[in-house]
Amino acid sequence: MKSGELKNQEYKYGFSTDIENFKAPKGLSEKTIKFISEVKKEPKWMLDWRLKAFNRLKVLKEPNWQKPKYPKINYQDLYYYSAPKSMKDKPKSLDEVDPKLIETYNKLGIPLNEQKRLSGVAVDAVFDSVSVATTFKGELDKKGIIFCPISEAIQKHPELVKKYLGSVIPISDHYFATLNSAVFTDGSFVYIPPNTRCPMELSTYFRINASETGQFERTLIIADKGSYVSYLEGCTAPMRDENQLHAANVELVALDDAEIKYSTVQNWYPGDKDGVGGIYNFVTKRGACRGKNSKISWTQVETGSAITWKYPSCILQGDNSVGEFYSIAITNNHQKADTGTKMIHLGKNTKSKIISKGISAGQADNTYRGLVDIGAKAKNSRNYTQCDSLLMGNKCGAHTVPYIKNKNSSSTVEHEATTSKINEDQLFYCNQRGLNQEEAVSLIVNGFCKEVLQQLPMEFAVEAQKLVSISLEGSVG
Amino acid sequence: MDQLFNIDLKKIPVSSDQEALERKKNFELFLENGLPNKKDENWKFSDLNYIISKNFKQISVSDDFKFDKKIEFINDFEHNHITLINGAYKSCDIRFEEKEKVKIESFKSFDNFTNEKGNNLYNLNKALSSGGFSLEILKDYKCKKPIIIYNYFTSDLDNKIISNSNQIKLSKNSELTLIEYNISEESKFFKNTFENINIEQGSLLKSITIQKNKSNGYFYKNISGIQDYNSSYQSFILSSGLKFNKIEINMNLEKENSTCYILSGLSLGKDEHQEIKTRINHLAPNCKSYQKIKNVLENDSNGVYQGKIFVKDIAQKTDAYQLSKALILDDQAEFNAKPELEIYADDVKCSHGSTSGSIDEDAIHYLMTRGIKLPIAKKLLINGFLNEIFENIQEEKLKTFLEKSIMEQVDGI
Repeated sequence: MKSGELKNQEYKYGFSTDIENFKAPKGLSEKTIKFISEVKKEPKWMLDWRLKAFNRLKVLKEPNWQKPKYPKINYQDLYYYSAPKSMKDKPKSLDEVDPKLIETYNKLGIPLNEQKRLSGVAVDAVFDSVSVATTFKGELDKKGIIFCPISEAIQKHPELVKKYLGSVIPISDHYFATLNSAVFTDGSFVYIPPNTRCPMELSTYFRINASETGQFERTLIIADKGSYVSYLEGCTAPMRDENQLHAANVELVALDDAEIKYSTVQNWYPGDKDGVGGIYNFVTKRGACRGKNSKISWTQVETGSAITWKYPSCILQGDNSVGEFYSIAITNNHQKADTGTKMIHLGKNTKSKIISKGISAGQADNTYRGLVDIGAKAKNSRNYTQCDSLLMGNKCGAHTVPYIKNKNSSSTVEHEATTSKINEDQLFYCNQRGLNQEEAVSLIVNGFCKEVLQQLPMEFAVEAQKLVSISLEGSVG
Repeated sequence: MDQLFNIDLKKIPVSSDQEALERKKNFELFLENGLPNKKDENWKFSDLNYIISKNFKQISVSDDFKFDKKIEFINDFEHNHITLINGAYKSCDIRFEEKEKVKIESFKSFDNFTNEKGNNLYNLNKALSSGGFSLEILKDYKCKKPIIIYNYFTSDLDNKIISNSNQIKLSKNSELTLIEYNISEESKFFKNTFENINIEQGSLLKSITIQKNKSNGYFYKNISGIQDYNSSYQSFILSSGLKFNKIEINMNLEKENSTCYILSGLSLGKDEHQEIKTRINHLAPNCKSYQKIKNVLENDSNGVYQGKIFVKDIAQKTDAYQLSKALILDDQAEFNAKPELEIYADDVKCSHGSTSGSIDEDAIHYLMTRGIKLPIAKKLLINGFLNEIFENIQEEKLKTFLEKSIMEQVDGI
């Protein structure tokens, strides 16, 4: 098949909703932060926390060690808060929500109406800077599970927020994390009480709609002793020829015997064929396995964004704790990704596993960057890392930058990586059985990603599989 | 930095005003930025500034020293030799070769290392260089015996810096085995070496680095080379027993079918820190590179491997491999690795592997059930672990000699 025979499938979620917005004044300043805090009716301690972060931000420098370089972001030319006007007075129920918003989510395939929803998934829908609706709240309440927008949690559960917010990602962490701490708008808050297994998948759907707006969401998940939760995250944005910044912070805390499974299907607008527009996805995700026998598992399918720059990490503090990271990063056209994970082993008998699959096509650049650090006290720890890269065409790049540190004699670290193109024999075999080139590539790529895809919850796995094929359409030549 | 490097440039003999000016300029450049520290990505795992500042109060140039000893030559196999005393070229003896085919002379310093811009140790080397040797093998000549470079360090080198520059050239279709053999008397010094290698079409260079004895020296060596069609470079690094050592190899595979092997087997003991850093640039199709780095770490030693394979978009059919393995024997020991791939061509086979851990319990158990005592079982396994890197050395006598030296090092554990 000649290249160009197949046109890239249009980005399906590229529409924008015409809705009246209520925005903060442009620019990053103390005034903006006070504005956000006021709109959200936050208590004083929260505002102080934000201002502390803002003061710290003034002395921090934007990092520049990453592989994908981008033009300088003018932080004064951004809106830090944008919400549909109809959301200003909080609607009490779904009936009061602007029908335009509900229609937007229907179009995205996320009906907010509980009856129409796939049973077993509760959704928190975040539109620009506010949470529009959270479903199945009643049912979750019965079990004592808190699942609500973080702005609501700040008011209703200040003791939990105060205790855990910033405990995994401190406000002084790095530039983008600190920026988020100062101006974060909305996101999800989850608390699972002790010895509770969350009966359904919790999920948040992020949508950027307004232009010239940055989205700074904050998610905090706490799994108390002996609990379990599976959390999904999805995201889309309209097609625009400007680059938009998405700088989120996600903090996970797992106490004794608790388990958190966090899955992401990231499908932000990747920009067009020539690399114009798209989202800058600069996200800080970090989980702390605080308790004994706790477990945090990150699964991510990264297909969108002009630039993806994130390292979901695990701090394995508790003895016998487990960290996992499964990732597929697909870059096509001019997309760039610099992603990976950090596994910090501090407790005894801690285990971590990293499976990363990178696929590069077109003129894209895909980097795996990871750290495995086994501390002197982390006796009998183990890590296994496998990162494979697939290259399609000779204009793209695939890079692997692992950092491996081992400071004790009873721990074992293993790392393997390979880079290659699609095996000619496999392609030939598929062609021979009547599959065309495109179908054959899709099949082989799906096989290449299988180890990661099967980690996803069922509802997401099907969608992710489709996404993998779509992201690569037009790249075979 | 001015205090640490108390150096009077006027004491260094120069041949022209131009040279004096050049040295001054480079020294000022060096003082401006100082020794590299861990904020520099290349020195992330070996903070040279910290290590040198901790161990040296003041560093000066080695200007006058007496040397009246007789060097104990290796007599396990026949060889030619070059002698360097404290980094300065002294003499050579190439009795096994055709005299007109092998050119060896004292070397001053090279003009430019284009890829070393920004390396502050290069500025320091240019400022203080006392030269070294220049070695050239002429066209179509295959050396019959290895050449050993006896690198002798005298006992009056305390708190001195040695700045060495060497140049090696293998003309078309030539062959050479070069062994750098370091002999140190008891003194604490810092050696900063830059070496330039040019391997022309169809040539083969085997380079071996080995120590006679433990040394209190702090070594940095930067090797930068280019390889032409069908050429081959094989480097064996066996430099155990140094307080600090960092070997940096930048090899450019510029033409098709060239191959580059880097193999290292080190066993590090108390208070030792060694780093091997490589960058193999695959700039043409059909080239092959292979790296195998093995470390045995005991006590509070620190082993580092930073390797990078770069594959340019036109370098299709590249076959590149990196493997680093570390045996950590004590809890105070530390191993850090960063095996990196940067690939822009699609039809390639590039892979790396890295493992670190302790000795396999099952293997020890197996040996012990056969009546072998624990310490001996351990030694056997360590020996086996390190000996694997000699697969590529065919000459029996040389191989036996290297295996023997490794054994002596392991016995020291």
